[in-house]
Amino acid sequence: MRVSWYGTMTDTRELVQRARAGDARAFEELVRGHYRAAYATARALTGNDMDAEDVVQDGFIKALERLDECDPDRFAGWLLTIVRNRAHNVREREQVRATASIEDVEPAGPDRTDIGAERDELGAALNEALADLSPIQREVVLLHDMEGWKHREIAESLSMSEVMARQHLFQARKRLRELLSRDELKEYLP
Amino acid sequence: MNDDRLDLSPLDPTRDPVRYERAVGRIMDAAALPLARRRARLTAVGQVSRWWRPMLAMAAAVAIAAVSILAQVQPAAAESELSTSPLAEAMGIPSTVATWMTSGTAPSPIDVFEDIEVEP
Repeated sequence: MRVSWYGTMTDTRELVQRARAGDARAFEELVRGHYRAAYATARALTGNDMDAEDVVQDGFIKALERLDECDPDRFAGWLLTIVRNRAHNVREREQVRATASIEDVEPAGPDRTDIGAERDELGAALNEALADLSPIQREVVLLHDMEGWKHREIAESLSMSEVMARQHLFQARKRLRELLSRDELKEYLP
Repeated sequence: MNDDRLDLSPLDPTRDPVRYERAVGRIMDAAALPLARRRARLTAVGQVSRWWRPMLAMAAAVAIAAVSILAQVQPAAAESELSTSPLAEAMGIPSTVATWMTSGTAPSPIDVFEDIEVEP
């Protein structure tokens, strides 16, 4: 099930209420319905799949613990705020670790980067190109082009104007096209 | 603008079903305990176990307040009863004895004799 912020609000509201009562199936539906969006946000901020998966997991568990504070009609945006905060924490921790000791910095091998995406060349190239964007541009383009969120949903989730969300998307796409066209991956571009 | 959409499907976390299911499974494993806690909260026993501590604390506070109020009210009430001369008379207590009691001073033997003479 893929849940858009507004598209299945009634379902989401009901699922949130059932999950509040401890219904595991309802919570699993919430997880499945919002996994991609949560992942897109986490991936945009952490920059790699492994940390993104950890952040998403932490984010969902934290959301479950604080589910009573959530407005069921705004679950997606609320969840992404939690995910975003956790991703920032991870990123800060990584930065501290990196500055504390250069020896502690793990090499950019296959274990720290994108295991799934490295399975094909395009995935690796996309990751490389995304790394060149700002976190906000990454989040906007992933939420829009991968997860299918609307500008209004993205703007609300990121507390920015719709115009600004469009602007970030435009800039992100432009930069990605430049980078990807250099990598002989033009066939994947529309 | 949607026509310009980039194909980011290689980054889709659900693209690899095995990995995706494993990730969801990990989340659900971690969620088992918080979910169980939520279910427990809704049962009658869960409600009692959830509220017994605050209820006990509240009952203790009420009891302490009640005792302190009673401790202040009772001596005042006793005093007002004794100072009521008609009531003392109705109970057959001589007025002078009632006066001694309300004043809180012990009578001298002379006072006692005088009183006996006045009110046989």
